[in-house]
Amino acid sequence: MTTEMEKAGIPVAQVTPMTLVAETVGSNRIIRGRSIVHPLGDVDLAPEEEHELRRMLVQRALDALASEDRTTA
Amino acid sequence: MDFGSKTQLEGTRLQIYVEELRRCILQDRRLQSVDLEIARPGESCRAGYVFDIIEPRAKEPGSGANFPGILGPVTPVGQGVTHVLRGAAVTVVDGGQPGGELGYESRRGGVSKILEMSGEAAKRSSYGDLQHLVMVPRAHPDIKRHAVLNALRVASCRAAVFLAQTALSQLPDSTLDFELKGPKSGNGNLPRVAYIGQIHGHQHGTESDEHILYGANTRGMMPTPLHPNEWMDGAVVTSYSWGGRGLETYFYQNHPIIGELYRLHQSGQANFVGAIATISSDQESEMKRNSMMAAQIAKWNLGADGVVLTKYAGGAPHTDMFETARQCEALGVKTVALTSDTASDSRAESALLINTKEVNAIVSHSEGSDVRFQLQTVDRIIAGNSEVADILSGLSVLTPAALCGIANNQGASRLQPIIY
Amino acid sequence: MKVVHYLNQFFGGVGGEEFADTPPNFLEGPVGPGNLLNQILPEGSQIVGTIVCGDNYAVENQQDIVSFVNAKVKEARADLFVAGPCFNAGRYGMSAGAVCEAVKSESDIPVVTAMSEENPGVDVYRGEVLIVDSGSSPANMRDVLVRIANLGAKLANDEPVGPPSTEGYIPQGFLRAEFVEKTAAQRLAEMLMAKLKGESFEPEIPVTTFEPIPVPLMTTEIAKAKIALVTDGGLVPRSNPDNLPRAFSRVWGAYSIDERPKLLEEDFEVAHGGYDNAHVQQDPNRLVPVDVMREMERSGAIGSLHEEFLSTTGNSNPLENSRRIGREMAQRLKDAGVDAVILTST
Repeated sequence: MTTEMEKAGIPVAQVTPMTLVAETVGSNRIIRGRSIVHPLGDVDLAPEEEHELRRMLVQRALDALASEDRTTA
Repeated sequence: MDFGSKTQLEGTRLQIYVEELRRCILQDRRLQSVDLEIARPGESCRAGYVFDIIEPRAKEPGSGANFPGILGPVTPVGQGVTHVLRGAAVTVVDGGQPGGELGYESRRGGVSKILEMSGEAAKRSSYGDLQHLVMVPRAHPDIKRHAVLNALRVASCRAAVFLAQTALSQLPDSTLDFELKGPKSGNGNLPRVAYIGQIHGHQHGTESDEHILYGANTRGMMPTPLHPNEWMDGAVVTSYSWGGRGLETYFYQNHPIIGELYRLHQSGQANFVGAIATISSDQESEMKRNSMMAAQIAKWNLGADGVVLTKYAGGAPHTDMFETARQCEALGVKTVALTSDTASDSRAESALLINTKEVNAIVSHSEGSDVRFQLQTVDRIIAGNSEVADILSGLSVLTPAALCGIANNQGASRLQPIIY
Repeated sequence: MKVVHYLNQFFGGVGGEEFADTPPNFLEGPVGPGNLLNQILPEGSQIVGTIVCGDNYAVENQQDIVSFVNAKVKEARADLFVAGPCFNAGRYGMSAGAVCEAVKSESDIPVVTAMSEENPGVDVYRGEVLIVDSGSSPANMRDVLVRIANLGAKLANDEPVGPPSTEGYIPQGFLRAEFVEKTAAQRLAEMLMAKLKGESFEPEIPVTTFEPIPVPLMTTEIAKAKIALVTDGGLVPRSNPDNLPRAFSRVWGAYSIDERPKLLEEDFEVAHGGYDNAHVQQDPNRLVPVDVMREMERSGAIGSLHEEFLSTTGNSNPLENSRRIGREMAQRLKDAGVDAVILTST
């Protein structure tokens, strides 16, 4: 899905725990998600900490979007 | 094939009066001597490095010149009658090519091409079952290298004609007809097919006296339409640069692809409308121009629906061929290209230097770099010089790329890459 | 031959998706499908031990699982290592490939696994590891195990392995030159005629499908951009109005976020059969981060959050499906003037 959107010219930041797959398929901007069952969360953290984690990952995604280079972060 | 007291052909037995042949070759005053030997199928014999292999052929007088632009005047060829000594070959060994790294030191004059007459390598080679007249012309020491090469070329053609002229007064054992009506011909239902073949790669340089097309050196050559018969009848010979990848004049004379397109034509499956000779340039702008022009000629002058493309060995010609194919596809002319495996890691995804999805029909003659022939010591080595003789006698293993007639770039190869 | 077998929590009999976090466990002898494999193995060969590990654990702790497997393989002095069959299970396929590759390089023993051609593990590991083509249906189990046993025995005995079509494995992408009946010229003529007639043909060197895509650049700065959220984790409004299936989805949905500050548990559910949905169900923002995006909107870090999120189920989806869905989504997003996307995959 990511590569088709990119082909249409839309910058995409893909958050996924399976970064190797995303790389092989050719996604350009990849952010390592926390876990398959909660890519942008973590049940082991307290709610405020989890929220902070989510903010950090989303920020990473935005930074990747702003960047002109291929990124895996 | 035998040496004897007269030069004559009796049925399938060719007798050669060696002194007469020698006098013929030594007409070229640049040469001081020429070694002449016969190598037969199965004999424990190895010859190298090979400059060229040519089938003995002679035009019936009045049918056109033999090797126009090389041995004589430039006249059209590809019509009339040509006599062929099928089962024989003239093999010219380059006395001036140095040894070292299997002869790779000097690309001018070809690289490590070895003719093996016995063993597994001979069985797999298209030349293994032919009678070879093997010649080693030796030039005077002060003759420049380009002139030596020119002398080799002339000698190869002279010998080929000399042998085949024995057939002029005889009835042939069999005949083959090659006739095409050309691009104007109708029969609208049949797909129209053509051949686009590179006949030289300029990335290795070209001598001004190098004979390639009707004797011309092809410098600055733009895509040139040819009748397929011209290709097969002495208008085209190989240039000095082979890049070590299977090209001999023998397979211009017996062009596998032109032969297949004729077969499609004669069996009523397709209309063979013509051929285009191209060169591979060493300049990108020229490459783009030539690719475009070849595609345009195929589309508009030949009206081709589909073409087969071959290259002249090497990476730049590979790019050239793919660009030509891409241009053809863009004009609606469907393409099939003959390529070689350029990957050093044997991986399918690295095998094509260029990847354009329109050029999706690929046949690979596969240099067979993972194929190994074990060689036995041979009784007779025919070498250009003692350096090469030492190398040849010490060989134990060779890959198809180093041998004549196995990984042939002109379509005779029976190697195919299988994906594992 | 002494064989060590690797299975996930499901085939290892531990349980379903809820047990995907199970750490690795070593059991003596064969387990689950290993019992059948044991019968198929040649005389004198047997599965001496089985490693069972949860799919999530394996993917998220790859180093651990690799060390664990390597240690057990060495202890057992195994002659052959088999992982799977994984069929369509993507995490399972990735882990099977990873442990096979690790065992191969660490212990230098033959390794074999099996999965369907669409499994993401194929593209990543096919070059290093022999992967039997299992297809997607576990109904093929016996046939798949027979091929695994066959190839395993050949590798262990150093016998040459035949071409993919004969032996039933997924081509690894290695080219080997072989002598064939037809000349290149004959093959060219045949291919030309097939192409002209519109018939199918196979190029002798495959033209690769994953072309690199140039990085699309932002046309506005992030602080002014409209960003959309997309997911293939199957998040849908309660009652799944578009009937997103739990796998092999051909459809996708666009769901309104309105002015919501975040996504609430009671409004959404998860239609994706490939992972344990509990955590995302409890807090959907763990998949579609509306809460954080709203904050970014308020603080000016982004221009705006697009008013809907797009969702589908990425479970076992054939590439062609995913590509089409991606194209359709792209169209909708472009029409809505979206500048960029954050796409969350599970």
